[in-house]
Amino acid sequence: MSEKLFAMADYKAPLRDMRFVLNEVFEVATTWAQLPALADTVDAETVEAILEEAGKVTAKSIAPISRGGDEQGCRWADTVVTTPDGYPQAYKTYAEGGWVGVGGDPAFGGMGMPKAVSAQVEEMINSSSLAFGLYPMLTSGACVSINTHASEALKATYLPKMYSGEWAGSMCLTEAHAGTDLGIIRTKAEPQADGSYTISGTKIFITGGEHDLTENIIHLVLAKLPDAPAGPKGISLFLVPKFMVNADGSLGARNLVSCGSIEHKMGIQASATCVMNFDAAVGYLVGEPNRGLAAMFTMMNYERLGVGIQGLASGERSYQNAIEYARDRLQSRSPLGAQAKDKVADPIIVHPDVRRMLLTMKAANEGGRAFSTYVATQLDIAKFSEDAAARERADNLVALLTPVAKAFLSDLGLETTVLGQQVFGGHGYIREWGQEQLVRDVRITQIYEGTNGIQALDLMGRKIVGSGGAFYTLFADEIRQFIAAQGAELGEFTRPLSAAVDNLDELTAWVLDRAKTNPNEIGAASVEYLHAFGYMAYAYMWARMAKAALGKEAEEDFYASKLGTARFYFARLLPRIHSLSASVKAGSESLFLLDEALF
Amino acid sequence: MPEYKAPLRDIRFLIDNVFDFHGHYAALGATDASPDMVSAILEEGAKFCENVLAPLNRSGDEEGCHFDNGVVTTPKGFKEAFAQYVEGGWHGVAADPAYGGQGLPQSLGLVLSEMIGSSNTSWGMYPGLTHGAMSAIHAHGTDEQKATFLSKLTAGEWTGTMCLTEAHCGTDLGLIKTRAVPQADGSYAVTGSKIFISAGEHDMSANIIHLVLAKLPDAPAGTKGISLFIVPKFHADSGERNAVHCGSIEHKMGIKGSATCVLNFDGAKGFLIGEANKGLNCMFTMMNHARLGTGMQGLCNGEASFQGAIKYANDRLQMRSLTGAKAPEKAADPIIVHADVRRMLLTMKAFNEGNRALAYFTAQLLDTAHLSSDAGQRQEAEDLLAFLTPICKAFMTDTGLEVTNHGMQVFGGHGYIREWGMEQLARDARIAPIYEGTNGIQALDLLGRKVLGSQGKLLRGFTKIVHKFCAANAEHPLLKAHVAQLNQLNQEWGELTTKVGMAAMKNPDEVGAAAVDYLMYSGYVILAYLWLRMAIAAEAHDDAEFARAKLATCDFYFKRLLPRTATHRAAVEAGSECLMSLPAEAFALGVT
Repeated sequence: MSEKLFAMADYKAPLRDMRFVLNEVFEVATTWAQLPALADTVDAETVEAILEEAGKVTAKSIAPISRGGDEQGCRWADTVVTTPDGYPQAYKTYAEGGWVGVGGDPAFGGMGMPKAVSAQVEEMINSSSLAFGLYPMLTSGACVSINTHASEALKATYLPKMYSGEWAGSMCLTEAHAGTDLGIIRTKAEPQADGSYTISGTKIFITGGEHDLTENIIHLVLAKLPDAPAGPKGISLFLVPKFMVNADGSLGARNLVSCGSIEHKMGIQASATCVMNFDAAVGYLVGEPNRGLAAMFTMMNYERLGVGIQGLASGERSYQNAIEYARDRLQSRSPLGAQAKDKVADPIIVHPDVRRMLLTMKAANEGGRAFSTYVATQLDIAKFSEDAAARERADNLVALLTPVAKAFLSDLGLETTVLGQQVFGGHGYIREWGQEQLVRDVRITQIYEGTNGIQALDLMGRKIVGSGGAFYTLFADEIRQFIAAQGAELGEFTRPLSAAVDNLDELTAWVLDRAKTNPNEIGAASVEYLHAFGYMAYAYMWARMAKAALGKEAEEDFYASKLGTARFYFARLLPRIHSLSASVKAGSESLFLLDEALF
Repeated sequence: MPEYKAPLRDIRFLIDNVFDFHGHYAALGATDASPDMVSAILEEGAKFCENVLAPLNRSGDEEGCHFDNGVVTTPKGFKEAFAQYVEGGWHGVAADPAYGGQGLPQSLGLVLSEMIGSSNTSWGMYPGLTHGAMSAIHAHGTDEQKATFLSKLTAGEWTGTMCLTEAHCGTDLGLIKTRAVPQADGSYAVTGSKIFISAGEHDMSANIIHLVLAKLPDAPAGTKGISLFIVPKFHADSGERNAVHCGSIEHKMGIKGSATCVLNFDGAKGFLIGEANKGLNCMFTMMNHARLGTGMQGLCNGEASFQGAIKYANDRLQMRSLTGAKAPEKAADPIIVHADVRRMLLTMKAFNEGNRALAYFTAQLLDTAHLSSDAGQRQEAEDLLAFLTPICKAFMTDTGLEVTNHGMQVFGGHGYIREWGMEQLARDARIAPIYEGTNGIQALDLLGRKVLGSQGKLLRGFTKIVHKFCAANAEHPLLKAHVAQLNQLNQEWGELTTKVGMAAMKNPDEVGAAAVDYLMYSGYVILAYLWLRMAIAAEAHDDAEFARAKLATCDFYFKRLLPRTATHRAAVEAGSECLMSLPAEAFALGVT
């Protein structure tokens, strides 16, 4: 046995960096002061307490059950799903802290925190255990849909219990033959005399569809009404409780929805991924008939940002483990000569290539934290601003940046967790050390909630081409204004940032032009375009972080570390845009030279 | 699980049309490797892999190996498959006839190993490790040692292992603690604990022959004080059990059918092989072969993943093409109509076929290095091998991981579900960038030891070949633009090397700072050369459709993948300062 076999690093919430991003880079208090709806619920002290407490509960109660949860997984027997040891207790602790409703509407018992704050909590919960984090995430996603689209009666019945964590939620979209293409779903909803509906059909890949964490589960289900038009415009959204709810709020009879089986997956083993069978289950329409997809889309921006944050969260956990290992593990000498002469070898952090891996992780994580907080702030402005123009601007930025946040952060999440595994050498492949689990767990984030290919199409087709480039210009203009406002001392960062914006301008114009004559150009360019966009957006984040850190190096080493990482980002990661741009400009032709049969 | 079919058409294309294996074998006097023999090996090997090994891959992953009180049980069917493999004579295909092998060239053994690895990577570890042990004994053993061990190993009655790593040292073998104390009878008592020993214990063979790195009592410190020992599980003469036991097996991300063992040597009786304190050198003689074999695993999992993905992309109906319905009679179009799905499939195809060409090109050099009667030719092959081996190992496994991830992604949510088999391929592929020297170590080997260590000579040995090729094909009517692009990159490669070399003279950290990106850059240029060779050979191919597919994939490679050199070049040019400026304490200040 290796002597350190179970010495996985403890998780520590990156609170210093979160405070830096919130308070020093984006100065969120200024934004919140302009949003009256937040004035009652949010102040600096509350936010500080939330970050501290979330850091504690995730590190103490949840991070320790992640490894065991992966080994044990969820078990299914005769429609009953049992989560791994410790999960129900941890969920109870988490719910009792009010964390499920951290971003929930205070009118129904939520904590009313802005997304910029709840995004930090999401990062912490997902760093501790991505599989665990899915249960509250699905619940709060369902709450957003209910709060935005359901009747007052449904809201009053369901939201308080969901925010309090007594009941959980699920989103039932996918069917065996319909994942990306929801227009072809087959689940049916028949209207009943009492105004309810009976729902029949089978859904797959339902995260948190069945489990033992809560006394009730509230499913939001996409189904078709009998007279519904074909395709995506004929889909409605229904609320289907696992147990019926009596008028007094107590639980009644079991509804006709049950779990047929759970999936055997690569990772997130402690998250129950269910086949859900609806056999004329009672459901209630949420929102208007045939507008179910639109009702889903309101929560989509929140969910997709949340999935991006899962990528970041996994990368952060992997980094924390990797940095500890790189300082402890003694192996070979520095090329410059022994650095730890008293030891048999140097810690591997002396090696340039190990540093390359660590700094790639660090730069991606911290860039991702800033970017997701930036997008979260736009979500807050879009939701809470009383100025219509400010709301529209934020809405457009959210529309533009959400697919980038989902896909870019999750793609980098895979890259960083793979690097974190590589730092460990052979031990990275061994389950006890935990690094390979992070790779397996994060791998789902590129797939679910709309594959990253679909995110790229959304960005390129609906957002860039769909707005005639207007959304893009909005963001690019903001960056240019930032650059113009900076002095020479920030030039080492703003110059390459400026070049990256110019490059993306050109790329955007190129795709807009080509797409006029050939719609295939959109799909051909989309993934690499999204990545080029992401690296530019991170360059903007890194320039803003550098600005906040510059001049303070002597105050605190944190700032020196920030600047060093910014320099690494501009020197080693931003140049990836050149290859990406060249691939985009290769166009669609080389993708369509082959007939299907010739592959 | 995707059903595996050996890609015989592509294999034959390389053997017959691109690399002229037959001419190559004839020139080396390897007359046994006749076209008929090659053909029989391909056909029969494909059948064995498709019918016997592939069906055990998914179940082997679910079942894993079991450890109980020192005994390791492999997944159901593994043992029987090994017996069939041995029975069929596959184990000794490339082994020395003096010990019962068939004596066919190494390159044929590698062709076969691709099929084995694609159908079942875990299972392939057992014969793979045995081949490694065989070549070490063959190169360094005494006649008596060869007579004692090689016949049984070749026959597959016994299997072999390589015991290098210890808990505190993987990359840095100079630190090993395992000791070998000389005994009166000329043998040694070996004591210590080794970890990560693939096939260290299992139920597939009657005996296991361990090759173990250990230190003699008077050994100098570091890598120059390491010796190599043969430690059999059961003694060859008496049949008595030796004092070597499996303490546990690892729980891994993948290759679960392969037993990764902790081996405890408690004064086990061992025999010195090769000279005292020259153990690492003995290991290095088989390293080229083993590292090429590991690189091949990237290709193997990538090929299996591609076969799954292409079938799924043709079957799965989801959304309409952006240019209008392509299958109007169906509920939706097959997803292969979508540009981004094609991007993923073509990336997989271009890497797989390019990597296969790289593996075969390198395998021919192995043949030449072993078999040529011309010393100059042998040296030239050795030099090219020294240069290409780390690239094969790291580039093929890194791109192999990328390919298996694309394959999962093509499947959407189903890619994440174990029953479909696509995620297993990504898990199995993940070990290859780590073991047999991490890819970071390969990159240091390439840039530090090989390229800069030879003052650029080893690089020039290859760029000369590319240069000649470009000159000869500069006016190629169809491909001249690509040839010009390759020629330009080939020059840039030399310039980039000079730049790094100059910087490294002032600061040794520059080598490590540039190494991984330098290796990947090199890999992309080499694949560009090989893709053009394939394109030119394809033009003359009598199967017009096959030729069209090759040319189209070549075009895709040049337009969509080769531009990645720009990123790697920029990273190399960025230098070491941005990596080294932060003190180690400054890496984790975000959590305070």
